[in-house]
Amino acid sequence: MSTSTHDADNHEHGDAGAPAGDKPEGGGELYGVLAEFDSPGALVKGARKVKDAGYADFDCYSPFPVHGIDDAMGIKRTILPVVVFGAGITGTGLGLLMQWWMNSYDWPWNVGGKPTWSIPANIPIAYETTILLSVLTTFFGMWIFNKLPQVWHPFFRLDRFTKASDDGFLLGIEAKDKRFDLDRTTELLKKAGATAVEPCYHDPDPAKKQMPKWIYAFIAATTVMAMIPLALILKARASKSTQPHWHVIADMDFQPKFKSDNAFAAFPDGRANRGEIAGTVSTCSPGSPRPCDHDRHVKSDTAMYQGIEGGEWITGLPRSVEPTAQRLARGKERYDIFCAPCHGFDGKGAGIVPARVQKLGGAWAARDLTDVGAGVVTMPNGQLFNTISNGFATMMGYSSQIPVDDRWSIVLYVRALQRSQNATLDDVPADQRGALR
Amino acid sequence: MSAGHKTIHPDEKVKAGNFGSQLAKIALPLGLAAIAAAFLLGPSHTGYRHFQLGYLTAWMFVWSIACGSLFFVMIHHLARARWSTVLRRVAENIALTFPLLGVVGFLGIVLPMLAGNHDLYYWDYAHTQSHEWQHVDHHLAGKLGWLSSGFFAGRFVLYMAIYSFLAYWFAKTSKAQDESGDPKLSEKMRIAAGPGILVFALTTVFVGFDLMMSLAPKWYSTIYSVNLFGGAMIATYAFLAIFTRAVQRTGRIVHSVTVEHYHDLGKLLFGFIFFWAYTAFSQFMLIWYADIPEEVVFYNYRMFGGGDGLSGWANWSIALLLCQWAIPYVLLLSRWTKRILPILMAISVWALVWHWVDLYWNIMPNAAWGVDLETGRNTGPLTGLLEANQPQYVWHSVLIWLGMVGVFLGFVGTRMKGNLLPVKDPMLGPSLAFENY
Repeated sequence: MSTSTHDADNHEHGDAGAPAGDKPEGGGELYGVLAEFDSPGALVKGARKVKDAGYADFDCYSPFPVHGIDDAMGIKRTILPVVVFGAGITGTGLGLLMQWWMNSYDWPWNVGGKPTWSIPANIPIAYETTILLSVLTTFFGMWIFNKLPQVWHPFFRLDRFTKASDDGFLLGIEAKDKRFDLDRTTELLKKAGATAVEPCYHDPDPAKKQMPKWIYAFIAATTVMAMIPLALILKARASKSTQPHWHVIADMDFQPKFKSDNAFAAFPDGRANRGEIAGTVSTCSPGSPRPCDHDRHVKSDTAMYQGIEGGEWITGLPRSVEPTAQRLARGKERYDIFCAPCHGFDGKGAGIVPARVQKLGGAWAARDLTDVGAGVVTMPNGQLFNTISNGFATMMGYSSQIPVDDRWSIVLYVRALQRSQNATLDDVPADQRGALR
Repeated sequence: MSAGHKTIHPDEKVKAGNFGSQLAKIALPLGLAAIAAAFLLGPSHTGYRHFQLGYLTAWMFVWSIACGSLFFVMIHHLARARWSTVLRRVAENIALTFPLLGVVGFLGIVLPMLAGNHDLYYWDYAHTQSHEWQHVDHHLAGKLGWLSSGFFAGRFVLYMAIYSFLAYWFAKTSKAQDESGDPKLSEKMRIAAGPGILVFALTTVFVGFDLMMSLAPKWYSTIYSVNLFGGAMIATYAFLAIFTRAVQRTGRIVHSVTVEHYHDLGKLLFGFIFFWAYTAFSQFMLIWYADIPEEVVFYNYRMFGGGDGLSGWANWSIALLLCQWAIPYVLLLSRWTKRILPILMAISVWALVWHWVDLYWNIMPNAAWGVDLETGRNTGPLTGLLEANQPQYVWHSVLIWLGMVGVFLGFVGTRMKGNLLPVKDPMLGPSLAFENY
């Protein structure tokens, strides 16, 4: 026993009134005794003796995990794995539910023609949510089961206790234990191999008997502060605002530049646009509703590039477009790629896109290209070309995807389709008419 | 409790004695008899094709265990493991079956090919048709340089030579330490294990590609051999647990290998069961999602091929998912199931059976694929072979498998000589004292 040395230590330390190791003058209540052992092995042996003597309210403190201490202290295996298993299963279920709700119920989303609710595609996400919930449960469950974070403890009043994070192997028995008796318990610990045993008293000041109030205040304050971002998000979701969005990351949204037709006082004419420069030729011809094709060439051949000649839609073909069988085949190939998804391979407007729209309950159909009443048959070639280039109603323009020459090939093929769908017996060569009957 | 070191129990029987020779005397003749019976009794209308497929499945099964044991030895050195020291000699001896296993594989898989039987691998058959092939199937024709019987035989010999060299070197060095007790030998093996495991990994990847994946020569999956390796490790840990227990039943090494070591084998079994399922699903999901015809055939046939019941591959697929992953995974999740040896043994036997089913499921449907020579298209099962490749002949493959396991056990028996523990390994003490906390 080194009573004299630790007494000296405590007196030096004494900012909390009476020394904790001795019976204080003010009459502080006894909290328990703290024993020190000189090795992990001695601690394990001591803990076993204390357990065998029937004590329950005791704990061990060491700088590192001591193997076998749980068994020596009679601590049961944790139920944390069972809790984690439950959390993992919950994570799987929630992950699947989330994907079902998002992809299949709330907003059905067709990806690559797969069913909107297809388990194989959902496994990776469910796997991640399983791990997420398991890991969070392991982490926080460990804290909760270990009563962490423990920021204050009556033993903190003993200097010896600081050795628990350095080189001390300590065992503390609380006075509230049924078998506790200061003299007999001290004796037991010494017999169990403790190198030092000292009692620990609460501070005589009752206010200092529990965890300091400011710690509760700090926890409450940080919890409230942690709620602030959540509250702001909730408020933003539940309210409307006329203000523009916060630009947290500006990217290139705000650039020092002018868009078309903005005012700019620095130029004499007050416009930001500078207009055409004298002596140069525009790539776009005036007079057309949307004259600019995406490829940047001089396009004086308006019949070829716009389907217009002399202000009228052309009814024939541009000069450089020859109606050959090769071009017709090219037109069919391009048509089958770009047009058939909506208009169908036969041009009757029954492609897979309208079919899907109708399956989902929509009422939209693509234009029948071959029906005389629908207007496309009687449309001039130039207008048909313009429709392919720039779109019409819900159809978008294809000028960025189909080169000019191919667009004329498609015009040619659409004409052939119309001819074939509206054919009479007179169109069939006389010597083959017999085959049709 | 916290003692990190023990010496071999004074009553321990460390010597293998006549255990190995007795095992070989029983297992080898029974195994050979079963294989001979299967050779004579197989479904006759397909020639030897069904026998060869079953032989390949059975050989891959025993390869799994020998290859996994070699990995067990090398990863032990590489990680400077302590716990597994008491199991390492057994694993070394199992890996030492390699030259003999190579001979058995060569006789059943490679030799018929060299002797003019082209039934097993479709690319081998394609070589006999090479003139037509150049015109109808560029895809396969481009691969026939790698997939040709001479080159294949050479590679097979090379793979077996690499395995044998690694197995011999590590066993020889380890046994030299039994005599000298020189700790430098441990360091030597640790240094060699690094490059050794690299060579091992490459060899194993190519074994998977050449022997199994090339059954469907136009199909490919880069994770295929990783999955095969995962399955091999399942088989290895299961076999090590069962075999070590069997050795202990004869009164040998009873004090050295404790429930702690079995517990760790169980953990690794658990881990690799998940690894296997993870890689299997990774392979499946990418192929299923991309839905590219040349890739998806593999799963298409396994999900929709065959008939009802035992002959429906979908049933095998689902059974594999449940029995090779879900059931043992849940059973091994808890600590206590791994520590009650009869339970661990039952799960190990179960895992071994289902590893064979995994190989069967990989090999048999692949082998049923054919290509129409006229069109170069995949026709699904080859005409005339369809019936034989249906799982109703599974008994035939099981018979060959049991025979091969007998032969393998015989080989293992011939290798079990001398000490069953690395008696002078510096890590033996910590391994003997090993405890799971």
